[in-house]
Amino acid sequence: MHRLIYIEEEVADHPRTKEICERFPKATKVYCKYYGEVFNRKGQNFRLQKQQPALILARKHKKHVLNAPDGYGIGGRHNYYFSHMLNCVYDCRYCFLQGMYRSANYVIFVNYEEFQQAIIETAALHPDEESWFFSGYDCDSLAYEPVTDFTNHFLPTFSQLPNAHLELRTKSLQIRTLLKLEPIKNCVVAYSFTPETISKALEHGVSSVEKRIEAMFKLQQHGWQLGLRFDPMIYQEGFEEIYKNLFEQIFSRLPVDSIHSVSLGTLRTPKVFHQNMVNLYPEEKLFAGRFDENRGMITYQKELEEQMTRFCYDQLMQYIPQSLFFACTPPE
Amino acid sequence: MINIITALQCEARPLIEYYKLRGNARHSAFRCYHNDEIQLIVSGIGKLAAATATTYLAASTLGATSCAWLNLGIAGHANKATGVPLLAHKLIDNASEQQWFPGIVMPISCDIDKPEQTYHKETMVDMEASGFYAAAARFQSCELIHSLKIISDNQQQTLEQITEKTTTAMINDNMATIDSIINPLLELSSQLNTIEQVPAEMYDFMAQWHFTTYQQNELRLLLRRWYALSLTNKPSHHDFATHTTSKAVLNAIKHFLDKQPISFNTKVIQ
Repeated sequence: MHRLIYIEEEVADHPRTKEICERFPKATKVYCKYYGEVFNRKGQNFRLQKQQPALILARKHKKHVLNAPDGYGIGGRHNYYFSHMLNCVYDCRYCFLQGMYRSANYVIFVNYEEFQQAIIETAALHPDEESWFFSGYDCDSLAYEPVTDFTNHFLPTFSQLPNAHLELRTKSLQIRTLLKLEPIKNCVVAYSFTPETISKALEHGVSSVEKRIEAMFKLQQHGWQLGLRFDPMIYQEGFEEIYKNLFEQIFSRLPVDSIHSVSLGTLRTPKVFHQNMVNLYPEEKLFAGRFDENRGMITYQKELEEQMTRFCYDQLMQYIPQSLFFACTPPE
Repeated sequence: MINIITALQCEARPLIEYYKLRGNARHSAFRCYHNDEIQLIVSGIGKLAAATATTYLAASTLGATSCAWLNLGIAGHANKATGVPLLAHKLIDNASEQQWFPGIVMPISCDIDKPEQTYHKETMVDMEASGFYAAAARFQSCELIHSLKIISDNQQQTLEQITEKTTTAMINDNMATIDSIINPLLELSSQLNTIEQVPAEMYDFMAQWHFTTYQQNELRLLLRRWYALSLTNKPSHHDFATHTTSKAVLNAIKHFLDKQPISFNTKVIQ
């Protein structure tokens, strides 16, 4: 429950602002000229704010759709991302957002229609090719669904764009809306996983692996295409056993023909973000391991990365055909 | 630790009594009081005085622990009843139109509002908050800087009716609310101190070898890593006694830590 809602004066009368505010009748509304005054200012502590994040309602003026970073994709040539929300309701210790943003407050850009228009225009740049749009880069695509009503608003846009694909990347059980809607062929609901031991230690606020698998099962029964994202893979001694168990647990419940894609990615964080994260959580075991710096990115040692990727790939190949596999690795 | 700034002695008096604060004769520029957790400074009236007192207190405790900051006093309001406590969620300096947004992450037991310098509908009016906040924001993050005001005057009960006695009484009547703001702020500052804490062993290492400023930072990070790994043995400079230079010590600690297994299982690694 938010105690404070910061509202950009420009969107104070926006119908979506009013709808969202109605969900938090006890929250104090604070008006600001530009959301950056609150979100981007210096002198904030992400870790303290995460205890009681405020909500910020704003308008995104430009750059509604951006090029996805290298290695962020599932086989498509044209990869984009868009963020109707900044920050996540979960608190995953490996997440780069805590190192990237100064504030842990949630920003919702209420001007969905401008995002939709930008998506239509971007897809039109590649009329004869497929383009991919990722919505879970700066936030979890579904976790704040009861407040944002994101899928209800954005799926109709994609249903009219057959050459544009949408990936909803999530760890959330908020699938009520998806189960009410007719599945569309060009949308993949992709769930992120780490083994249960790691999830319990590092993914604060996230539902158990079992519950997420059950949510996926319901979605596939309803006809949605599913994605599996093991990105980032997190190292611990004896990682082979816990990742093997995780794959077994998932594929014993989910039929392979419901799986659209599976991707693997190694832990990689820009150096500046990594330093911020270590300063915020110096007692965190994740950051106490051995890391290397490679062209401004902090990663596990090359040999360890290769060992983990090879092992997980070999294990996955026991369950899925090669055609479903994608490595989320930035080019050398 | 929390630093409290009041403009007037009559605003400070109830806090001095409630928290059993002692006068600190070391300070001659301002009247200052303290106990083990609280420092209070009486700034005088106006934003310049508030900013100066805030900076003075910060400078006199520089390098010490991370402190919370609270500006406590009385304020006017167009239509709120007198005696009502309000925590500011936005501060506006009317002269410069500069704005600040305190980060409210602690539980609060009073309403929140914003102070300005002239009566507006639904805003508090005071003379110190903007100066205080501008100065305190130089030293601390916004979650630990707050302004709590008791409404002393409104359009019906005007400024002229305020006396030292009524001011002290209004603060006194709201001590429970004030305490309910101070305690969570103390808790937040304690959390921040724990996060920023330098491992005690660092000083033993520094007494044994000479570390440059850059190396001291490296040593601090390595010793924090040591603790994060939940190793059974604590870091000790005796274990690295064979190394003659600080560089060799840092390399040896790093080499030792790099070899440690990582496990997120709940059992402690032996």
